[in-house]
Amino acid sequence: MLGLAAGAAGSGFLRPPGLRAQPRLLPPIAEADALVAFGHTSPVTDGGWTMMHNQGVQAVRKAFPNLRTIYVESVPYSADATRIFRQFVAEGAQMVIATSNYGDFIRDVSDRAPDVAFMECDGHAVSGNLGWYYITHWYASYVIGIAAGLMTRTNKIGFIGSFPIPSVYAGTNAVLLGARSVNPAVTVQAISINAWFDPQAATQAGTALAENGCDFLCGIMDEPAYLRVAEQRGIKAAMWNTDMRQYGPEAYVSSVTLDFRDYYVSQVRARLAGTWQPQGHFLTLGNGVDRAPWGRTVPPEIAAQADAMRTRIMAGYNPFRGPIRDAAGRLRVPAGEVMDDARIYQWDWAVEGVTGLD
Amino acid sequence: MIALLTGMLSTAVLAGGVLALAALGEVLAERVGVTNLGVEGLMSLGAVIAIITVVATPNPWLGLLAATMAGATGGMLFAFATVIVRANQVLCGLAITFLGLGLSASIGHDYAGVPSPATFGRVPVPGLSSLPIIGPAFFGQNLPIYLIYLVLPALAHWVMFHTRHGLAMRAVGENPAAADAAGLPVTALRFWYVTLGAGLAGAAGGYLTLTYVPVWSEGLVAGRGWIALALVIFAGYRPFGATLSGLLFGLITALSFVGQARNWPIAPAFLNMLPYLGTIAFIIVPVVVWHRMRRIMAAPAALGVPYHRDVR
Repeated sequence: MLGLAAGAAGSGFLRPPGLRAQPRLLPPIAEADALVAFGHTSPVTDGGWTMMHNQGVQAVRKAFPNLRTIYVESVPYSADATRIFRQFVAEGAQMVIATSNYGDFIRDVSDRAPDVAFMECDGHAVSGNLGWYYITHWYASYVIGIAAGLMTRTNKIGFIGSFPIPSVYAGTNAVLLGARSVNPAVTVQAISINAWFDPQAATQAGTALAENGCDFLCGIMDEPAYLRVAEQRGIKAAMWNTDMRQYGPEAYVSSVTLDFRDYYVSQVRARLAGTWQPQGHFLTLGNGVDRAPWGRTVPPEIAAQADAMRTRIMAGYNPFRGPIRDAAGRLRVPAGEVMDDARIYQWDWAVEGVTGLD
Repeated sequence: MIALLTGMLSTAVLAGGVLALAALGEVLAERVGVTNLGVEGLMSLGAVIAIITVVATPNPWLGLLAATMAGATGGMLFAFATVIVRANQVLCGLAITFLGLGLSASIGHDYAGVPSPATFGRVPVPGLSSLPIIGPAFFGQNLPIYLIYLVLPALAHWVMFHTRHGLAMRAVGENPAAADAAGLPVTALRFWYVTLGAGLAGAAGGYLTLTYVPVWSEGLVAGRGWIALALVIFAGYRPFGATLSGLLFGLITALSFVGQARNWPIAPAFLNMLPYLGTIAFIIVPVVVWHRMRRIMAAPAALGVPYHRDVR
């Protein structure tokens, strides 16, 4: 207990928030003295979100063999998170990376530890020592949406989401807009299963969508349950997080794949060099988020058409442009206006053609 | 419409099977007077052991057997603590849950995401499986489904209510002192029925990874063990009650997804609540409407109470 208190005081953790230094560069650290701590939202074996972040951790370990990394799995979204981040600081971490949104639970700690660099995935706040980062997954979803629009026969696409939150709105809307860009008759039916990981519920949701006429399933899930439903029923599916074709090679179309390795290595390098700065950062298409190589049953001409848009987006084109109406028919983005990443990141309404998400 | 009903019933039977089997196991334990809150952990343990077994030898029956044994082993530990040492059943049950969840996460670490190499195939009953609506749901499933819905509950019902041994078993749960005075082996009956019930919970986990979601990941059971516990009360501590309540719960869950997929004008949050609202309604309504149900649905009188012969 004494040691913990001393460590906390030494790292500036007990300093009152009012005395916090103005934004400034944190001093460089020798690699052998550095400790980088990661807080994950689920187990690193989840086969999805946290597994991809853990690959980033491994990449950091490989790039900086003398640096120490620690991580805690299944950090709850509660005051327990504050305790865990505080523990990281007390152990002497100079950099704390939360691989999911913890809002005020992390802000409480970062404000009291101004000498420690904090990064929060899917966060929104930037302070003197806290930044956020996120992937622009909507571009990958848009590209996959094009393939879905060209491959569906029933013009009904199913989407299995967790909760009605911006990431799910952005993913669902992007699939619809991508599909409608090549096939205006497409509609997307969404189901929220109230979990990121519940294979039983995802199986039931996928089955219900398929029985309702959807012949292409999309979603944001940490596991491949609905891909198996698609495989059994002879329809198609696109996944999230990782390449999951082994679970349903006939049905598999592609995935929105995540890759945090380069980003984590670059951020840790900046921290060591003393050039790290708190900021909000979007990982762009091709640099942290992408579509997986197309499944073997995707016709080459469809893959080529979708990839043409991928190339355009990577060159700077933004396909999220008006007119875009919401599910109630109101014009939200007028013709000629473009939704930038910051706006898509906050997306909280369903686009016309999406049902089940309001 | 018919296709919809057929599909819904079919998924309800599959999803409900997990719950029905786990609830049946819990009925056995609670009938001898022991509440086993460890079901969630035992299911998780069974689920991972089944995958590990079929990865080694691709035979789903072996996997199911191993899952049952794993559950029974956990059950013996629990029964030793609660029946022989007579520790608090609630605390021991919670301990078993955490033990099972943690143990399965650590031994399953290297198996996370590995698809099950052997699963149970469908074995349609000739003739019956082509019946409209109920055919594919009840007669076009895999073999464990028939076991769960028909063979096991029938066997348990017959033993429990039509044999002398069943009478002894129920007596132990209702009044262990009287049963003891009548010369019945209270400790042995409790020990072995708790073990058997835990074995069925393990089998429910194995069934999960061998048929319904054939892959292991931490957190796969996702609270179904707790629901099975609640269903036992709704089932009135009866084997066929457990089966029916599992099926009904599967049906309501399926309904909530169908409602979302067909875009019924009901909030998804409400549809997701349906299974839980349904459980509460099913427990309350019959008892309120029909007073006799209170007696029929009553828990075994000695449920949760450790039996000490020496303090009588």
